[in-house]
Amino acid sequence: MRRRHTTWLALFAALMMVLAACGDSTDDTTATDDTEASTETTAAAAEPFRIAIVAPSASNDLAFTQSIVDAVDVIKGEMGNVEVAVTDGTFVVEDAAAAIRGYASEGYDLVIAHGSQYGGSLQEIAPDFPEVSFAWGTAADTFGIANVYSYEAASDEGGYVMGVMAAALSESGTIGVVGPIEVGDAKLYVDGFAAGAVAQNPAASVNINYTGSFGDVALASEAAQAHAAAGADVMSGTAQMVVGAVGVADEQGILWFGTQANQTSLAPDIVVASQVYHWEVILRDIISNLQSGKLGGEIYSINLANGGEVIEYNPAYALPDDVKQLAEDTIAGIVDGSISTGG
Amino acid sequence: MSDVPMLEMRGITKRFPGVLANYRVDFDVRSGEVHTLLGENGAGKSTLMKILYGLYQADEGEILLNGEPVEIHSPMDAIERNIGMIHQHFMLVETLTVAENVALGLPSDRGFRTDLDAVSERIEALAERYGLSIDPSAIVWQLAVGQRQRVEIIKALYREANLLILDEPTAVLTPQEVDQLFVTLRQMTADGRGLIFISHKLHEVLALSDRITVLRQGHITGKVPVEGATRESLAEMMVGRQVKLVPDKPPVEVGSAALEISGLRVVGDRGHETVRGLNLEVRAGEILGIAGVSGNGQREMAQAIAGLREVTGGSIRIGGVETTNLKPAEIRKHGLAYVTEGRLRDGAIADFSVSENIMLIDHADPRYLNRGLMDFRAIREHSQMLVDQYAVKTPNLETPAKNLSGGNIQKMILAREMSGTPTVLVASQPTRGVDIGAAEYIHSRLVQQRAEDTAILMISEDLDEVFALSDRIAVIYEGEIIGIVDPAAATREQVGLMMAGVRPEA
Amino acid sequence: MNEFFTQAILIATVASGIRLAVPLLLASLGETFGQRSGVLNLGVDGIMLLGAFGGYYTVLKTDSVWLGLLTGIGIGIILGLVSAVISVTLKAEQGISGIGIYLFGLGMSDLLFQKLVGTPRPVSSFPKLDIPGLSDIPILGEMLFQHSMIVYVAFGLVPVSMYIINRTTFGMNIRAVGENPEAADSLGVSVVRTRYLTVTIGGTLAGIAGAALAIDLGIFQQNLTNAQGFIAIALVYFGAWRPAGVMGGALLYGFVNSLVLQFKTLGIIPRSWSDIAAMAPAIITILALVLVARRFRQPAALTKPFTRGA
Repeated sequence: MRRRHTTWLALFAALMMVLAACGDSTDDTTATDDTEASTETTAAAAEPFRIAIVAPSASNDLAFTQSIVDAVDVIKGEMGNVEVAVTDGTFVVEDAAAAIRGYASEGYDLVIAHGSQYGGSLQEIAPDFPEVSFAWGTAADTFGIANVYSYEAASDEGGYVMGVMAAALSESGTIGVVGPIEVGDAKLYVDGFAAGAVAQNPAASVNINYTGSFGDVALASEAAQAHAAAGADVMSGTAQMVVGAVGVADEQGILWFGTQANQTSLAPDIVVASQVYHWEVILRDIISNLQSGKLGGEIYSINLANGGEVIEYNPAYALPDDVKQLAEDTIAGIVDGSISTGG
Repeated sequence: MSDVPMLEMRGITKRFPGVLANYRVDFDVRSGEVHTLLGENGAGKSTLMKILYGLYQADEGEILLNGEPVEIHSPMDAIERNIGMIHQHFMLVETLTVAENVALGLPSDRGFRTDLDAVSERIEALAERYGLSIDPSAIVWQLAVGQRQRVEIIKALYREANLLILDEPTAVLTPQEVDQLFVTLRQMTADGRGLIFISHKLHEVLALSDRITVLRQGHITGKVPVEGATRESLAEMMVGRQVKLVPDKPPVEVGSAALEISGLRVVGDRGHETVRGLNLEVRAGEILGIAGVSGNGQREMAQAIAGLREVTGGSIRIGGVETTNLKPAEIRKHGLAYVTEGRLRDGAIADFSVSENIMLIDHADPRYLNRGLMDFRAIREHSQMLVDQYAVKTPNLETPAKNLSGGNIQKMILAREMSGTPTVLVASQPTRGVDIGAAEYIHSRLVQQRAEDTAILMISEDLDEVFALSDRIAVIYEGEIIGIVDPAAATREQVGLMMAGVRPEA
Repeated sequence: MNEFFTQAILIATVASGIRLAVPLLLASLGETFGQRSGVLNLGVDGIMLLGAFGGYYTVLKTDSVWLGLLTGIGIGIILGLVSAVISVTLKAEQGISGIGIYLFGLGMSDLLFQKLVGTPRPVSSFPKLDIPGLSDIPILGEMLFQHSMIVYVAFGLVPVSMYIINRTTFGMNIRAVGENPEAADSLGVSVVRTRYLTVTIGGTLAGIAGAALAIDLGIFQQNLTNAQGFIAIALVYFGAWRPAGVMGGALLYGFVNSLVLQFKTLGIIPRSWSDIAAMAPAIITILALVLVARRFRQPAALTKPFTRGA
């Protein structure tokens, strides 16, 4: 069974009571998910393996949070007897900390704190629950605590590949990037993207616009408008608010490169490719460690080489073969170390 | 004219939790008369009128208008039945114009819009008939108090009120404005309107009324025609015992100047200079009364003397010592006592007990300290003595001040302030809002303090009080003393003119 | 550097500022009505969010932006009435009850989105409407008269609001009730009815603002408004409770935002300053409007529930 918790303070709980007629609305499967039901039957008498996710944005944001939720779904499909709980939308760190502590005290086997901003909370909570394993990302630090894993994405690698393709496809030579705040995963991706674009076309001008917000869709949309006005004919962007920018790109016929999740569904006409995170690659390692009694202490990274990062092309977009070949060569180069993303 | 009264209220009873506000009150008004409703604060006058105006519903009793029983559920009902009310606290919207205030709530004959030009025309006609000159396009906040009251009256007349309730209409007016108001009111009764006049200023009641009904604790204690009524007889009905309205003042030999103010300049809350070069001297053993319309710098002057407001020019000396811009505690050490006008705002701490309030000033005095800590026994004894001495009615010393009546809070403050036998006592509005009994007591205390050679500066908006207590009357106008008169020789009219800014003949 | 001064970029910046101002303008015009009558509704953002989801979902299902807008209006009316019941009839502490509405809207819109839609799916936006004649004016036409319909609606509501508040009998009642409800009541103006109307107008415009935002972006996401409703409330204060002032504030906020975005895009603002620059719109708007608004006083009865005879 899969449970989703959405912690919206007391008032929301009150609302739930009002909506009691709608049934037990906390037990929920993603509306778009139809593969879920079948796995229920595999739940045997054995104790399920229990995984909890605490993440800042919505589970289906087509970006950061969705990437981890999808990955855990894959794990569940592989292992079968897995119980998953998700608390999403906790952009307030205190709420996230409460959720993390709650799951730990409920005895979950693995609590995933999916946000670099949760590190401080985890540092306080993890030592109180030595039997529980915590995974924290994206970050490269376990604080030396025995039951904390950390994980990150080498998003600069995929970004670099995207940048190379973007520069190859751009006719104007002007490329726009929309970012949230210049930190963490977003910074890695944007820097990699810019490096790739310039490597492909040293004359390209890559305009980078950090809007200052992970959540302001309207601002991301206007940032895309600004890129368009500056002459960009290819754009990319990272974090959940970029859905606003994708809309503008679609409207103006500007090509788009996505990251963190496959964004093709947002604009099938103009999305060229997306860098997709497959955290299950490292989750497999973490879980097998867990089952052999090692609760933490490792730092994991997904990248092109270990298959944690995959470039997914939009089949509906007619990507010229030479550009696709260029992308594949670049991937191979990064994997074998002959290409540096500059990071 | 028929014998049926315009208004009859029969057997009105109204209870609030713990309070019987009106008990079987009968009250009537005939066309063309002024019927005064007299009583102390809390006697039930306002409740009765709010019932008449539809703001409250009576628990028992009935209301008849021109002999017909009516139900009045809201002010709208009252207005429709031609009842108007001039509230003590003006019911005006300060940010709207006079015409808008008058038109408010009236159905507009132009759909979504109100024809303010037509409203203005009618206002001007009414103003002319009743001597209420006013500019319909003026915004209310720009108007002086007297003008605002005219707007209130016009509002009622505009709605064709035949029965008009006037709730303490003179409280905020100068004597001249009161005279002018009375002219207007007489014109209204001459037109056949009935007026209900609410006041506790006895000489005004006697001057204006045809009949007087007195309320005490919700009960009617007297219903008399104005002929034969005296201030003393009315006061007795209000209080329930004989009252001395003018305290006996034994002659006291006046000493040297204890409070000397020269060229005082002080800036008010809004950044304007409100005290402008004020000169004044108060001598030991005299009560100097300051008469003036509120807002002419009285408050700022008193605060400056007490060190609560910065002096921007001039000087203040207490007992010959310069105290200008010293800290309040230092000024007190030089012999100043200060009874503020805002009892529960500046004068006492509402949530503190009686004992704590009494000890606010002296808490650091060695007499009440025991090795640096408060000596609660000494404090208790001292407070108990003062409570007894000043007849403060309180359940016990630990009762929070806010649970006391206004008069008892004022007595408590007086007890605190006068216990140290001050050189100078500044008393702002010492009896405002307190009942006649308490006022009588406070007056006698002030007179007693005067006999102990304290120089008393009394600021009051109640001219009766100023005349009754003062040895000299100084009139303040726009931050200056524009004249000092002897109350034995001067008339209320003379003082009233000075309050309006007319300087006495040199 | 000179790049910025190209005509295309100038036009884009102004047009972008106008677009950014629109949801704020709609919401703060509505809030102006409520506040002028003495009711502070801090729930604007919650109403916007539900209006946004409702509008978005309707367009997703029907592909009609007008039905979407209508849904936003309907949701706004309902939540406006709910707000009025809470603040006028139940006399709740307005600073707190509004937060309740906000949290309700925030949580409810997200829950509905998760249950009914799931993953963000794009929908169609408002059609562009070029004002005949005016849109052909060089530069200016492109800046001002080639927008989607909702932009003209929003700005058209400014003079309408001014007229209602300053010139009609209803507006006089609003001003009276917000300034001195006892006085208004004593003359038979229904304080309750007036406040119900203004708070419902406020809710309606907040619902429209949300629907306009979502439909114009063609997408919905958790917390789509990103606290724009709170900025709208601030604009009412800084716009000194006057529709024109509120419009000035919304435009200033929008323009500074679009200018900052444009400067970032062109590298005029270096990336190391990017995060600080993101605060510029709020800071500049607050500073500018504080200077203007200092001269005005808030409605005297703002946030004070009315009880007859109290």
